Amino acid sequence: MTGPPPKTRVVILGGGTAGWMTAAALVNQLGHACSVRLIESEEIGIVGVGEATLPHIRHFVEALGLDETDFMKATHATFKLGIEFHDFGKIGTRYLHPFGSFGAPLNDVPFHHYWLRLHAEGRGGELWQSSICNVMADRKRFAPPPPGSTLYNYAYQFDATLFGPYLRTYSLARGAVRTEGKVVDVEVNGEIGDVVALKLESGERVGGDLFVDCSGFRALLTGQTLKEEWEDWSRWLPCDRAVAMPCTSPPGGIEPYTRAHAMTAGWRWRIPLQHRVGNGYVYSSAHIGDQDAADALVAAVEGTLMAEPRVLKFRAGRRTNSWSKNVVSIGLASGFLEPLESTSIYLVQGAIAQLVELFPIGGIRDQDRDEFNRAVDVEYDRIRDFLILHYHATSRDDSDFWNHTRTMEVPDTLLSKMELWRRSARVAKYSQGLFFEPSWVAVYIGQNVIPHGWDQRADLSGSDQLEAAVARLRTRVSDAVDAMPDHSEFIRRHNATIEKPAG
Amino acid sequence: MNDRRRIRSIAVAGGGIVGLSAALAFARALARTQVSVIETPPDPAALADRLPTALPGVERFHSAIGIAEAELIGGGIASHHLGTMFDNWSAAGEPWVHAFGDYGKPAGAIPFDQIWVRAHKLGKALQYGCYSVGAALIRAGKFVHPSPDPEFIGSRFLYGLRFDPDRYRELLRAKAAAAQIAFRAGDIAEVERSDTGGISALRLAHGRSVEADLFVDCTGPSARLIGALDDSVEDWSAWLPFGWLTLSEEPSDDVPAPASRIRTSDDRWTAFLPLRGKTLMATLARETGDVMVTRSRRLRPWVKNVLALGDAATALDPLQGTNLDAAHSAILLALELLPSRDFHAVETEEYNRRAEQVTRRVRDFVALHYMRGPWREFAGQEPPDSLARTVDQYEHRGRMPFHEDESVTRESWTAALLGLGIVPRNVDPQAGAVPLDKTVTAMERLVGEIEAAVEHVPDYSQYLA
Repeated sequence: MTGPPPKTRVVILGGGTAGWMTAAALVNQLGHACSVRLIESEEIGIVGVGEATLPHIRHFVEALGLDETDFMKATHATFKLGIEFHDFGKIGTRYLHPFGSFGAPLNDVPFHHYWLRLHAEGRGGELWQSSICNVMADRKRFAPPPPGSTLYNYAYQFDATLFGPYLRTYSLARGAVRTEGKVVDVEVNGEIGDVVALKLESGERVGGDLFVDCSGFRALLTGQTLKEEWEDWSRWLPCDRAVAMPCTSPPGGIEPYTRAHAMTAGWRWRIPLQHRVGNGYVYSSAHIGDQDAADALVAAVEGTLMAEPRVLKFRAGRRTNSWSKNVVSIGLASGFLEPLESTSIYLVQGAIAQLVELFPIGGIRDQDRDEFNRAVDVEYDRIRDFLILHYHATSRDDSDFWNHTRTMEVPDTLLSKMELWRRSARVAKYSQGLFFEPSWVAVYIGQNVIPHGWDQRADLSGSDQLEAAVARLRTRVSDAVDAMPDHSEFIRRHNATIEKPAG
Repeated sequence: MNDRRRIRSIAVAGGGIVGLSAALAFARALARTQVSVIETPPDPAALADRLPTALPGVERFHSAIGIAEAELIGGGIASHHLGTMFDNWSAAGEPWVHAFGDYGKPAGAIPFDQIWVRAHKLGKALQYGCYSVGAALIRAGKFVHPSPDPEFIGSRFLYGLRFDPDRYRELLRAKAAAAQIAFRAGDIAEVERSDTGGISALRLAHGRSVEADLFVDCTGPSARLIGALDDSVEDWSAWLPFGWLTLSEEPSDDVPAPASRIRTSDDRWTAFLPLRGKTLMATLARETGDVMVTRSRRLRPWVKNVLALGDAATALDPLQGTNLDAAHSAILLALELLPSRDFHAVETEEYNRRAEQVTRRVRDFVALHYMRGPWREFAGQEPPDSLARTVDQYEHRGRMPFHEDESVTRESWTAALLGLGIVPRNVDPQAGAVPLDKTVTAMERLVGEIEAAVEHVPDYSQYLA
């Protein structure tokens, strides 16, 4: 009888959000099957602007056994009910993409079909009044959904530079080992091409069985060493830079949502945390210069600047193979989709879940790599189409940037989704992927893509009867929100308020 | 405004169970649409009509067409169906049961079958079927409705229904007549094409013509309507090698067993479907039989204004009783995605895309039984990619790969995989983290709970009385 198999030696390169999320999940779920060592250098900064998340982050926090209050306090977090888009379809318009649904289906037909029918008759009011998330956001209220409820959900807005260190403390307490240092050389097995060890500036050699490349855009292992191909998507998503800048919080309550304001050559985020507001302008360098972008950002933000504007460069796309040889790339090393829908941390989380599910047993198999890459591709491809929609579904003709995105050729997959919507008010349904029907409906309606037709079953009830039912629904939503506390007040009651606002 | 788009009339060709079910579903959901049924002669190879079995979840379809379980059971039209016993269908010839619903209890996010594999490898587990309350009811020949209390073990199983084909058809026909559905007798003499490539009318044998906005082809594998428009068919016979069907029945007890039974012999297998007062027997063989059934799928079940349902769309081996269930799902999907009257390809292709994903995985599930069962010498050398991936991932570590719109549950897959002797070679590291003593104790306790729960269930005869 042999003893237990030797532990798989996992080496994670890079201590940003992706690196420490991976380390935390591995020590928590597979601590008995692997050893985790993370190499990071204090000299190399992290991108760390990913401050806005999606509701899936709650599962991640919960699976690690973290206490929500403690986590929120540590990361200066606020609650998030969705993203409010300004000026995307047309200057002067706005809509919220809520983490929740619009109304409720009736006789198997989704609510928006009934709304469209009333809308065509000039009745029915605004769609957003039937979404509890929207009304909460509008009134800056917050309360968590009752357990088991699927009516709405929430995420967090937090300080990404605090999230990594928080998970570092967690991981180190559970057996992960941190090594400070810069990688100067990568030792590769000449025959099979696997990475064998990383050599550090100090002269130390760190060997491993499985390497996780969380080195960000540099992609030291997957890009520089293994030369994995990069699929470029900038023809559809031309934004390739961001200038970021925190400001002091304006007076008044904290908004429980993120804002995205369309600009002449991209868009600008506004993410309210407990102690400050994160701002940034994501732009296309082909359409605006760095200085002009920074000036435009400074002119647009509220509050006092807390730091000088900082420019980041990136490009939209993904690796053809996120897992190649014995290197799994997670985070920016694997792909990048701009933060318009707060998907970065979600993509990291999804890749980690797949890695845990496919964690090598006695060696890495081709079939497992293929499965990992298949799952990652599906996520990227579907999010890509959803992001492109925000730029393409517009009547804006006030700048070269918007003229480009409005008239560009979009992927066939998106083209048929939009055509299906225009003709029938239906959203192409997939059981896998991030954004489901309510998300697509929010963007379509919010950006004024109004379908010509709808489900014919929605025509079966009388207009007056339907209008009365919609009005009752709206009153119920409104009353429910009235009973909820103010967002800032809720954070206080939740004991998640940070003691001393940091600088 | 929407009136220009509305489908005003639907003609269903085929008066079997599938055709009547579709007609009823459309008529009830679309109150302003005229629905008629053309009662063409039945196709002897239409398995969804001739071997009607419903899987768990059928109540959703039945409520859509206004049928209550009580009237089916009370009228002797249907009996409860807990699963299928495979007497000798495995490489080793061992019996196994595919019971609907849960096997064991998961440990947090870790599925029970992975926990079972670990205990099994250490010699600390009973046969997989011992952890299913559905399988225990089948062995005891008992039935009861699942308990509404999720904490009680008696809640952790599901059931479908087996129908007496003639009685079920009669009930559907009576319901259809009551729903103002018009019936036209007679065979189709000619399919008249429209300028746009669809069908404008069907001319019947006695000369009368039926026009409609939408034509629904429920004529069985002969696909009399859609076959006139489109001939793209994917052949599945390499993976489902048995095609010769013989149906018969014999009188039996009025109290049927709550499960079907499959027995193999030489170059054939026979399904025994117990009904009230008789047993329906279906034999499928490689080389001889009464009727040849195709195993294939139409690549485009919806073309222009013609929708094919049941065996006209997908003809599948009846081993797991999925034929009528596939038709039910397709009818509900057609209602969910009902196109506008011009039947633009972007709308019908969305139906075709979703229908394909569901049917491929059902095919994979049935093909698995040939790929790794007693007939592996007859099955094609290369299984479909999606099935190969499923078997590879399961055999390696008990993982079930994701597939879009999968309708076969993980519980059904694992019951069949483990039943066929496909036991994972490795214990998944996540399952390895669960403390073994606790696992073994919990599994032993579960077996005791199942035994106690089943002992208190009365015999099926008392339940039916």
